[in-house]
Amino acid sequence: MDAKDILGLPKTAFPGNQERKSRTPKEPQRKPDGVSREVYALTGGVLPPLMPNLEPLHLKKRPIVGKEKITWQWLPFTSSARTDNLQLYHWVRVVNGVPPTGDYAFAKYNKSVEVLKYTDEEYEKHLTDNAWSKEETDKLFELCERFDLRFVVVADRFPSDRSVEELKSRYYSVTRKLLIARAASPDDVANHPLVKEQFNAKHETERKRALSAVLSQTKQQERKDSEAIKYILYLLDWQADEVELQVQSEVGSGEKATEAGEDASPVTASTDAPPVVSDTSSIPANLRALKVYLRTNALDQMLQAVSSASGRTNIHIEQMIQDLSVNLKPKVPTKAVCAEHLELRKEILTLINLQKQMQKVTEATGTGSRERPQSEAPATPKRSNRDVDRAFVPDAVGKRDQKRKAPGRFEPPPSPPQSKRPRKYKASD
Amino acid sequence: MYGGDEVSAIVVDLGSYSCKAGYAGEDAPKAVFPSAVGSIDQMEVDSEAKPEKESDSAQDPKSSAKPPDNDKSKAKRKLYVGTQALDYRRDHMEVISPFKDGVVVDWDMVDNIWNHAFRQRLLIDPTEHPMLLAESSINTAHQREKAAEIMFENYKVPALFLAKNAVLTSFASGRSTSLVVDSGGGSTVVAAVHDGYVLQKAVVTSPIGGELLTDCMMKSLESKGIVIKPRYSFKKKEISPGDYKIVDLDFPNTTESYRLFCTRAIAGDIKESVSRVPDSAYDEVSYANVPMTSYELPDGQTIEIGADRFKIPDILFNPSLALTIPGVEGFPDPASVRGLPQMVLESINKSDVDIRRELFSSILLAGGTSSVQQLKERLEKELMEEAPQAARVKVLASGNAIERRFRFRNLDETTRVFIRIMGPED
Repeated sequence: MDAKDILGLPKTAFPGNQERKSRTPKEPQRKPDGVSREVYALTGGVLPPLMPNLEPLHLKKRPIVGKEKITWQWLPFTSSARTDNLQLYHWVRVVNGVPPTGDYAFAKYNKSVEVLKYTDEEYEKHLTDNAWSKEETDKLFELCERFDLRFVVVADRFPSDRSVEELKSRYYSVTRKLLIARAASPDDVANHPLVKEQFNAKHETERKRALSAVLSQTKQQERKDSEAIKYILYLLDWQADEVELQVQSEVGSGEKATEAGEDASPVTASTDAPPVVSDTSSIPANLRALKVYLRTNALDQMLQAVSSASGRTNIHIEQMIQDLSVNLKPKVPTKAVCAEHLELRKEILTLINLQKQMQKVTEATGTGSRERPQSEAPATPKRSNRDVDRAFVPDAVGKRDQKRKAPGRFEPPPSPPQSKRPRKYKASD
Repeated sequence: MYGGDEVSAIVVDLGSYSCKAGYAGEDAPKAVFPSAVGSIDQMEVDSEAKPEKESDSAQDPKSSAKPPDNDKSKAKRKLYVGTQALDYRRDHMEVISPFKDGVVVDWDMVDNIWNHAFRQRLLIDPTEHPMLLAESSINTAHQREKAAEIMFENYKVPALFLAKNAVLTSFASGRSTSLVVDSGGGSTVVAAVHDGYVLQKAVVTSPIGGELLTDCMMKSLESKGIVIKPRYSFKKKEISPGDYKIVDLDFPNTTESYRLFCTRAIAGDIKESVSRVPDSAYDEVSYANVPMTSYELPDGQTIEIGADRFKIPDILFNPSLALTIPGVEGFPDPASVRGLPQMVLESINKSDVDIRRELFSSILLAGGTSSVQQLKERLEKELMEEAPQAARVKVLASGNAIERRFRFRNLDETTRVFIRIMGPED
């Protein structure tokens, strides 16, 4: 199509082709003289022509040139887009000897942005700024004009290290002030887009920071994030179930432990079994499933799962822990320490339950042999309880004293919550 | 379809390995020849100068014209430019390059090269054609001035435009914003182009280029005991019909640089024919038993190349591999040398946040070294690992190998807008 265009040819095919078809079927009937019958039969009734018959109409017609005379000439041209008077040459389609007039065809694409120019007085009057010197502002405007307000490129070429937002905000604020200053009245320019909307540099900086944060997350981090989200959802489901389970198992194991305490044997595997069982059951199954988790978080969850007690008793427990000068939250949450801590809490819980029972019993019987509960009282009934309940092994306990952050007050008999420890320690060592 | 206006502009791209010149609008350059030139110092061979010159001019009419005597120093030499001139072995001919570390230092040589391109290869008169010069993305103002000076004063061109390689490659693929990975003979340059302008602060360079890979291939083969004989050093003699014997010719006056040049040419051909980028990082153990490819050297020797096929191109991704080849000296600044994916990421991270996504999705490959097989796939794979989830990584290479090799951006949108044309008075 383009080739025809260039040569100036008509686009439709010429009409001579369709007439010839009707004549040809008649030819094979006649046998020409001078050729024997057999030869004629051999060729199937049609003699091949000695000379191919070229129908003149089958040939391409000489191109019909229109009435106009078209030549292509190598002529000079100028462009209004250029500031100098450079003359280059190019091929021009000349019709009837008249070269085309008009501007260079591509000159209309030379668009540029209108960047305002300010005089020195205007700068002095309206545009001074603490962060920007006059040279910098001049340079900024020069670059803006050169690069048609492509701020990314301007920021790239700017001599000092200014961010794109800084450049943009300076440019827009200067232009805005200029517009307002130059306008006869504020109403004239009120509709100008620069005056109507202010450039919000802070918002832009925030947006860019967020974008760069999104973009700097690599694929591995994405995977970890999605895994973490999945785990959290799983955990929420599990917690609902776990708490119910814990309530039942906790009560059972607490009773078993006190019963075991009545045995005289210092170390028995059986006594370990209930605490251990309760221990492992206190770790929610979902946590076990996850290979890596922060123990402090896990501890909280375990505590939550384990503490079926009401809020008031929780406070008791925590007070007792503090009295024993044990940290409320273990400082170094290793597996053993966390397990111990949970154990401690459980034992304190059972202790409090027993104390209540004791109180009820004493009130019921009315015997005043027990001292009234004082601030230190929780310790004494504890002690006597344990004395009654079982014998403890002094040396093993003594050994523990060094290991544990033992409370100073309860020296000769170590505080009962610890008496259970020896067995645990020995088992776990 | 070329939609521009035909002003018959000429495009010249002088790279550190080869010079490409041709008409604007065409698919491929008409003239491609090495940027290195042969030079015989006239002072050295003063007494033999005359008979040598005569014999030379009889055999090789294409040698360039004698350069003018520029100053008092004794640097008077005869330069031989172009493939034909270089293929012929001459006594005492040194092969030198106008480039040093990627920057032009010898403008006289550049003048000669351009002259050869215009008058002997393209056969044009430079005064009739506007010129488009392709320059490196990290070119300095001084270099630009020098180039313009020579063009206007020596060749009196009517108009001149200096365009950066990265911008031209970008336009040739139809994009105004892209990340151009130009892996040429002398170096690799990764440059971000935004809206037709190169972002200077986001340009990353590395000295690893095709020439270095050729050197590595050469040294690796030498360490395996394979001797590459340059073409001039032997002759095939027919002892009996169909049976040839290699006769070694000895030319004591051949310079070392010429011998190296010829050997490199052969090693370069080996590299180009057999190299393939491995699908994942190369390591000696897994590629020790890879099947070998055979290659026939010009002297008839057939060599087998196995692990080197994959090791050499992997240097682009892991530059420290080059140091494992005996005989290859380390890089002048080891800290700055990184693999291709790291360079791409560095360049993107140095550019403005808003355009990063767009850069990731339009990474263009250009240059001779980028035509090694499987480079695009490997680069895409490596980048997807490191790139952010939010960005879609797409590496593009022109389908036509010729286009990629010469990245001949004959597309001439620039002639229409011809912004930075300097007049002869500048």
